[in-house]
Amino acid sequence: MGSTHDATGSIRSSAPLMEIRGISKRYGSIQALQDVALALHAGEVHALVGENGAGKSTLIKIMTGVVSPDAGTLSMDGQPVRIGSALDGQRLGIAAIYQEPMIFPDLSVAENIFVGRRDLGLIVDRRKMREQAEAIIGRLGIQIDVSEPARGLTLAEQQTVEIAKALSMRLRVLIMDEPTASLSDREVRRLFAIVESLRREGVAILYISHRMEEVFQISDRVTIMRDGHVISTRPTAEVTLTAAIRDMVGRPLDQLFVRTPSVPGEVLLEVRALGREGAFSAISFQVRAGEVLALSGLVGARRTDVGLALFGIAPADTGEILLDGHPVRIGNPQDALRAGIAYTTEDRRQLGIVFPLSIAANISLPTLHRFLNAIGLVDRDREGAVAEEYRARLKIRAPSVATPLSSLSGGNQQKVVLSKWMNTRPRVLILDEPTRGIDVGSKAEVHQIIDELAREGLAIILISSELPEVLATADRILVMREGRQMGTFDRSEASAELLLGAAMGQALAPAQGQTS
Amino acid sequence: MRALLRRVHPEQIRELTLVAIIVMVVAFFATQIPDYLSGQVFGRVGASVAVVAVVAVGQTLVVLTRNIDLSVGSIVGLVAYGVGTLLVRDPTLSPPLAIAISILVGAALGSVNGILVAYGRVPAIVTTLGTLAIYRVALVELSGAKTVTTDALPQWLLTIPQMSLFTIGQLDVQPLVVLAIAIAIVFQLGLRYLRFGRRLFAIGSNPDAARVEGLPIQRDIFAAFVLSGALSGLAGFMFLVRFGNITVTAGQGLELQAVAAVVVGGVNIFGGVGSAIGALLGATLVDLLQQSLIRWLGISEFARDAGLGLLILIAVAADKVILGRVRTLSIRARRETAELAAGQEVISGT
Repeated sequence: MGSTHDATGSIRSSAPLMEIRGISKRYGSIQALQDVALALHAGEVHALVGENGAGKSTLIKIMTGVVSPDAGTLSMDGQPVRIGSALDGQRLGIAAIYQEPMIFPDLSVAENIFVGRRDLGLIVDRRKMREQAEAIIGRLGIQIDVSEPARGLTLAEQQTVEIAKALSMRLRVLIMDEPTASLSDREVRRLFAIVESLRREGVAILYISHRMEEVFQISDRVTIMRDGHVISTRPTAEVTLTAAIRDMVGRPLDQLFVRTPSVPGEVLLEVRALGREGAFSAISFQVRAGEVLALSGLVGARRTDVGLALFGIAPADTGEILLDGHPVRIGNPQDALRAGIAYTTEDRRQLGIVFPLSIAANISLPTLHRFLNAIGLVDRDREGAVAEEYRARLKIRAPSVATPLSSLSGGNQQKVVLSKWMNTRPRVLILDEPTRGIDVGSKAEVHQIIDELAREGLAIILISSELPEVLATADRILVMREGRQMGTFDRSEASAELLLGAAMGQALAPAQGQTS
Repeated sequence: MRALLRRVHPEQIRELTLVAIIVMVVAFFATQIPDYLSGQVFGRVGASVAVVAVVAVGQTLVVLTRNIDLSVGSIVGLVAYGVGTLLVRDPTLSPPLAIAISILVGAALGSVNGILVAYGRVPAIVTTLGTLAIYRVALVELSGAKTVTTDALPQWLLTIPQMSLFTIGQLDVQPLVVLAIAIAIVFQLGLRYLRFGRRLFAIGSNPDAARVEGLPIQRDIFAAFVLSGALSGLAGFMFLVRFGNITVTAGQGLELQAVAAVVVGGVNIFGGVGSAIGALLGATLVDLLQQSLIRWLGISEFARDAGLGLLILIAVAADKVILGRVRTLSIRARRETAELAAGQEVISGT
């Protein structure tokens, strides 16, 4: 018995370190997982890919003991194991790192690493704890003071703290859920170096990512999931991008969306020498009606700050903003909305939506005044009807518009956010990382929506970290680096190499990091 | 400035500031109120502060976990009355036993809160508002609106406020004050060095992460409420010692003072930040201001409560504005240092 019949994927004859067989899980009417099998070998990076809603999150929760399966078995070293709680998972040496790191901001880094431990006795030996934390953090190659509170660490540093936490115990299986979604290139490289050294130490790594290029770069095997089923498990070398995407979506898909060519109209928004102390300076550009302008750059380029300034959340302190050629003052979001500027945030979970509220209530939120009836109450029929229009138009997959946002997948949540701001009938729409953390299928649909909106005459500013997305969707691309404008390129002249080069600027001139 | 910000934590600045404010307040009232620095005034204020401080330390444990305990005033009253009645009926009851009963009854009352909040998942504000009323009504029923009076109590109890453990200058330091300070120190050490203490911070700091981490969240929150109840029980005994006369309104409004003390003392009402010493300092400042204002202006009890409310609002606002600013500066200072280091790494690496 064992994994011998798993001939499709096995690259090694040795028995798997962790094996999952026949796992099923049902939430109400939704079958989240159906008869899922997966084998992880020591010293292997096993990639798990699939659209959002494919069941990856549920599988992680089962593997870490947060959720228990309806059927199926888990075993380690050939022995069946029960993972009934997060604690069981820890005892077995299973750790998970999430896209949004789970840290305690008010505890020190060292305390974060050791707070969950049960085997260290009642009293904390603070010096020993600090020394051990320093040793582990040092091994991971980052420089942070372990006695400082974790508040204020960058996302990459927070992730490293989580890896350190896993390493402080006997780590056998490391699950990484979209670990690079918010990291800069340099941080990604460092993370991969860590993954590589863990692999050499014999840790089994389950690597979940939407970024296929990373999957190809780092993994030994790829498992593709769709709708709660495992579709295939193959050695990475035998997988092509097109084949992987086909397996993921279950239907042929144009891999790269191509924007409909259009003739831009009048200049709608113009920005002259815009700046905000400590964030960015001397940013100038124009966006025409029907045009998509992308703000490109690496993490820390301050593109989001430009978006926040145009929407009045963190207003600019120098420079001018002109709408239809007339200067406007945007001191707060109300000013922006009145001027016809809408902004969708990159931090969807924290700032973009109200989770317990329905799709309809989320969409009507910024425009509630338009939904009032004669006596000043919210006209719920009209609210529902408008939401229904958007649900059909944007293909929001939900049982009804009364469905709470918390039960939608990331891609569908993002479509609700788009609906909400489209319904403010903006003339300028700023989209900040609109496809972050959503699956390939939803991504293509969001690109389609951007294209349609531009054709309707909106001026669109797209802030995106993904070069293929920028190249496929934008008409013009403005590249930023550390708050400065490095150049503006037409789509016809732009290439990934050109944009990346501009974004990195004189990347290795350290003196520039210290201005302000 | 930058070097200073990197070394000193915003929370420590907070505690030092409180000490400075307390000194300033004392100095101010010394010029306004005759004989303010006398041993008598010190004794009276000290006894009052001691009761509030012990309750505030218990409140700190609960607030750290993102909860609140509003029943503390009623627990103080109920224990003060109950133990007072016991001592009237049986004057031979030994002092240690009387104290132990106070603590145990308080812990039992606190465990009701703990069970409902931690295991019943009833929000703390609802639970403890309910027990605040229930414990108070229990006191009214128990007493039949009678009063425990000083003359019926055993002599040893009544002499405690007059006792002096040691003197500083002409100030007699009484047992209640020493007890309050000792409790603050013990719990401060516990929060810092016990695994349980660190978990209280963790739970309040990020409940989701605490769950993923597999921390015993329910057990710890339950324990926090039990400890808050136990300390309130002890404070009830101290209340009995201090006043002798116990009516059905004993300890009423103490919850407001305790919440004010922890907030002023730098305990974040949203959990995760705070210290027992901060609560002690907060209790000192809050009660000192109250007692002094009464002497200085002869203000009414209602005006005093309004003053307390104002103090809470000022503390929270100052916390948000000033501490937030300091925190940003401190993070920025650390970041710049890190970037500098990274820059050097790049230079030397290439």
